[in-house]
Amino acid sequence: MIRLMKAEALKLVTIRSTYALLLMTAIGTAGIGVAVALAPHNHGIQRLLFPPRGTPAWYDLVFSALALAEDFALVLGVIIMTGEFRHKTATPTFLAEPRRGRVVAAKLIVSLGAGVVVMAAAAFAALVLGLCFVAAGYGGVGEMAGRLGQALPGYLVATVLFGTYGIGLGAILKNQVLALVVGLGLTAVVEPIIVAAWPTVGRWFPSEAARSLETGSSLSRSGFGGGLSHLLPSWEGALVLIAYALALSIVGSMTTLRTDIT
Amino acid sequence: MPTASVEVRHLTKRFGSVTAVDDLSFTVEAGRVTGFLGPNGAGKTTTLRMLLGLITPTSGQALVNGVSYPSLIEPVRAVGAVLESSGFHPGRSARSHLRIIATATGVETSRVDEVLDLVGLTKDAQRRVGGYSMGMRQRLELARALLGEPAVLVLDEPANGLDPQGIAWLRSLLRYLASAGMLVFISSHLLAEAAQTVDEVVILNHGRLAAQGRLSELLAEAGATIRLRSTEPERLVASLSARGIGARREGADQVVAESTTPERVGAVVAEDRIVILEMTSSGESLEDLFFSMTAGGALPARELAQT
Repeated sequence: MIRLMKAEALKLVTIRSTYALLLMTAIGTAGIGVAVALAPHNHGIQRLLFPPRGTPAWYDLVFSALALAEDFALVLGVIIMTGEFRHKTATPTFLAEPRRGRVVAAKLIVSLGAGVVVMAAAAFAALVLGLCFVAAGYGGVGEMAGRLGQALPGYLVATVLFGTYGIGLGAILKNQVLALVVGLGLTAVVEPIIVAAWPTVGRWFPSEAARSLETGSSLSRSGFGGGLSHLLPSWEGALVLIAYALALSIVGSMTTLRTDIT
Repeated sequence: MPTASVEVRHLTKRFGSVTAVDDLSFTVEAGRVTGFLGPNGAGKTTTLRMLLGLITPTSGQALVNGVSYPSLIEPVRAVGAVLESSGFHPGRSARSHLRIIATATGVETSRVDEVLDLVGLTKDAQRRVGGYSMGMRQRLELARALLGEPAVLVLDEPANGLDPQGIAWLRSLLRYLASAGMLVFISSHLLAEAAQTVDEVVILNHGRLAAQGRLSELLAEAGATIRLRSTEPERLVASLSARGIGARREGADQVVAESTTPERVGAVVAEDRIVILEMTSSGESLEDLFFSMTAGGALPARELAQT
């Protein structure tokens, strides 16, 4: 099992797309952070909703850009699993380890580590951005770093678990494009609609479960952005994500991944 | 170490309503090169993939060293496989590709450089596989197959994409490995090439076993084609046919007798006192044997012309 995990990690570090994805995570996080920070909020109702620049609440909002890492971890998870079929490396992989369930297990474990690295890229970008804002005169270093430190654990757990969710989606769908469309489509389109219509149902969906983990920030708890009182407790949200990852991976291993490799 | 073996028992695979492999049984032995021959769609690749645990048989068993592939303790150290449509990540170097497999199977990294050298890819090892020619990919596949120093080598159309030098190199490599005691099982549709490489053949047609045995014995059994010139071609054909030897007229005074031996034809001619002006014998080639074994695999020219 250790060998398989090492091999899976090696697969990630020996292709350039992994590094490109990390770079995109960092750039994307910084970009969203800047967009949020510089959003116009000097007039109308936004003045009431938007915290003044440099305040802890404002930094919470800026660092909500870290949520982007979840999507990238999802993409990476899907790629780790479905890349085997896209590039037909499933043949050498399953020749080396014919017990396919073990390969999926190794991928799940390695995706946890990959999630940490994705989060590290996002966190680095957030830190640099925060330092820039401090340098520009918005708040102190201590406050900024404090808010970042408080936000990180929740986003980290959500990101790591979203990576395993991506493995599960990949295991059950096998097709890379399909898995990406389903994964991102659910997160970006379907789930928000369900959450808006039935919050108590929506909270059991993956991205809402992830949101329950992001609420380290006081801002989220305060109800900015549509009210989050429907969310599950953080630990329950984590368990829901773990359940998704395991259920999809196990069902995928017993169904789609069992099929003939031709 | 027990001798390596490949054994297929009543193997059947259906894809929907199509029966790709039909109650197939054969064994392959170590120390020789065995060719797995058959027309396109005969079920060769399906059989090899069942042998390697990549395709689940509908019924029957495909065994390597007496057990199914997934039951092998260290499959990569028991069997090396070169398969068509086995893939590489285009952005990964050949060396990384092999290192991954070596890591997954506990093979020492030093072996990676050994096999790269063996297949002549050392110079290009750090290059990304996306830029490789088909022949280089085929060599890389072979390198991967040899990584675990297996006693069984299964190759599906290994000559694909290789240039003439590459094919000659592959032939000598396979012959060398077989002489060293390895079991080499190789599918091919290049009959002329296979004829030079293999000791034994397993011929498949429509998913069924058409023939198996030593190539030299099968060829001897199949007999030769005898061409004769006679003053009485009509009577010669009748005499041969009367004794069960397939014969036909060709041209003004020629007779062609098939699947027989010069001895038998000579005996008939002497007995019936027929004057012979010329007689030549040509042994069956693997190609003749293949076509006679797999007749019906393709539409005869006459039917093709009608469709």
